[in-house]
Amino acid sequence: METAFGITGKGYVLIASDTTAVHSIVKVKTDVDKIKELSPFLLMATSGEPGDTVQFAEYIERNIRLYHIRNNFPLRPPSAASWIRRSLADSLRSRKPYSVNLLLGGYDVSTYKPHLYWMDYLGTLAEVPFAAHGYGSYFTLSLLDKYHDPEATVEEGLATLKRCIDEVSKRLVVSPDRFKVKIVDKDGVREIEV
Amino acid sequence: MNTLVQRFSTTGPAAEIRKAKEVLGEEDDVVDVMGFGNLASGVPKFSIPGVPDPSAFLKMHTDDFADPSCRIKIKHGTTTLAFRFKGGVIVAVDSRATAGSYIASGTVKKVIEINPYLLGTMAGGAADCQYWETYLGIQCRLHELRNRERISVAAASKYLSNLVYSYKGMGLSMGTMICGWDKTGPAVYYVDSDGTRLKGDVFSVGSGSTFAYGVLDQGYHWDLSDEEAQELGRRSIYAAGHRDAFSGNTINLYHVKEDGWKFIGNYDVSKMHYDGPDGRGGYGYDLRVEGKSSANPPSSA
Amino acid sequence: MARRYDSRTTIFSPEGRLYQIEYAMEAISHAGTVLGVLAKDGIVLAAEKKVTGKLLDLSGAKEGGYGGSGEKIFLLNSNVVAGVAGITADANSLVNYAREAAQRHLYMYNEDIPVEMLAQRLCDLKQGYTQYGGLRPFGVSLLYAGYDPHYNFQLYHSDPSGNYSGWKATCIGANSGTAQSLLKQEYKEEISIEDAISLVLRVMSKTMDSTTLGSEKLEFATLTLDAEQRPKAKIYRPAEIDALLRKHDLAKKDEDAEMKS
Repeated sequence: METAFGITGKGYVLIASDTTAVHSIVKVKTDVDKIKELSPFLLMATSGEPGDTVQFAEYIERNIRLYHIRNNFPLRPPSAASWIRRSLADSLRSRKPYSVNLLLGGYDVSTYKPHLYWMDYLGTLAEVPFAAHGYGSYFTLSLLDKYHDPEATVEEGLATLKRCIDEVSKRLVVSPDRFKVKIVDKDGVREIEV
Repeated sequence: MNTLVQRFSTTGPAAEIRKAKEVLGEEDDVVDVMGFGNLASGVPKFSIPGVPDPSAFLKMHTDDFADPSCRIKIKHGTTTLAFRFKGGVIVAVDSRATAGSYIASGTVKKVIEINPYLLGTMAGGAADCQYWETYLGIQCRLHELRNRERISVAAASKYLSNLVYSYKGMGLSMGTMICGWDKTGPAVYYVDSDGTRLKGDVFSVGSGSTFAYGVLDQGYHWDLSDEEAQELGRRSIYAAGHRDAFSGNTINLYHVKEDGWKFIGNYDVSKMHYDGPDGRGGYGYDLRVEGKSSANPPSSA
Repeated sequence: MARRYDSRTTIFSPEGRLYQIEYAMEAISHAGTVLGVLAKDGIVLAAEKKVTGKLLDLSGAKEGGYGGSGEKIFLLNSNVVAGVAGITADANSLVNYAREAAQRHLYMYNEDIPVEMLAQRLCDLKQGYTQYGGLRPFGVSLLYAGYDPHYNFQLYHSDPSGNYSGWKATCIGANSGTAQSLLKQEYKEEISIEDAISLVLRVMSKTMDSTTLGSEKLEFATLTLDAEQRPKAKIYRPAEIDALLRKHDLAKKDEDAEMKS
């Protein structure tokens, strides 16, 4: 089952996503990277219709890159989120909409604030302290209501994230066995081993 | 619906115009014999039924599961596999084509030889795979002529996935592995008509894929010798041919190395069951366990 | 001979010049002066009005609107004020275009348009009019005073050819050469907004033709940050301008004598 989480902490956003590509009952691949590095300070986790996810993520990635090249500065996370939401909302009203759910994590270098956005294929956008997509959300949202700390250090944040992963592994039927975790903070985006 | 009937009818005004065009040697706007009449435009074009919802229209006439009496039965049911290892890429497929519960053919070529360095496998709609992979072959050749170097497997598979993605929801049905050897070494990409494209070491596609995976995953490791790898591919397709009703007849085996692909052989599944390749003993369970017994009587002595 | 090349914008002269654009620039050099100075905590913009007279109805500027008479200084977006020099009718069209461009950016990105991007949007339009057949270029130069989080306060100038550049202090319109050299002499780095206001008023009083400086001949605006660090544009009303001039001892007197002392 596709699952993705995101949590904010003091000066960073962590995003975790499962890494499996499933076809009917078969795991076709177990090391898929579903978290795209859109720009030096932006991460995006995608889930949803196969094909759409990658095509939409690449479309967003390239347009954000184009903006950066044209203007010499990147889109800040709130503007990027608004633009991505607009793209998805316009797509929804087109002949063939993208069915993609997203988590967007970014670090705003001008205000030193981390931002996490939850977005679904209908074009709903919400800025949140923590977020989840897929069946994993039924277990982790309550968990995060209890354990999330906006001032947590990276180590503490990772420990909370680990709780989420462990809970999903324990309770969700056909749970994903591996998660990829990425962080974005003042030093940019990078992968973290868990 | 009417536009479709008109196009293929042999009487009526539209047919007359078409005949006139044939006489004058003018290009028909439908599809030419090879089907690649619009190469020059760069963007592939494909005639779509002139109905509001082409995919529903197609489904109505082709879904043999929902309606066994439907007029067009698309051939389904297959086992194909490909894997990457130290010595290159092994591609193995079965050769059965079924239409409903009927075996339409037992000698189908499910490996499409795109060019001397690229192979594509066929699962899903036979026509879709054959047509688009041949088309891909043309584009790969044009890439070669334009850029003075062979297309990478990554680029070729991306071309195909972008192409089928542009037809998403219109009824294309393909599950294919694009296999080859390029500057990066051996490469296998899985591409399907959902638009999914995955790079990987081991893939199997089709109704028998689970049976093939069962043998393949257990026997696979990177450092397989060429002979071991070929045997693993053959044995895995046999397993699917044996267990899956929609797969079987014969096995086609290919091996891609640095200097291009090589056809290894065609193997009869029944012969594999009883004799095995080169008569070194059959794959069948009964043969393998002949003379063995699980009985565990207390020793009488 | 020149006739063949100056009747169309799209045709180069044998010397490689585009006469219509040069004529447009010439038109601007006769227009009312517009002056801008960048300070560390804001920007000041001042402009000389040309359309004056006792019978002109200025009640709109006195009460309604957002300040200003609508001749020289315009609010393009909540973070950008612009001063225009040249053909006022052309300027109105550009101002309208700029406002729409800013709203389009807000629609797509949910943020104020970055200042340089807004200048670029207008310059793309202006450049287009130097190339497409049968069209006359815009006879307008603009000064953009704006704020965005990327580069803070910024001052840009754009001309009819579609060129634009960033400045610490600059001037367009009649006597812009004189004003420019005065600014060069008197501008100091890290100048405060208060000092910038007095610098602008001093230079304006020297360059303007008339001997008296008053609200009927002057438009004035500032862009600063409010308590929440959001940009705040203020276009002065006539009464506020007169008060400002009185404060700086420049109102309705022989200001040349004042400056020398």
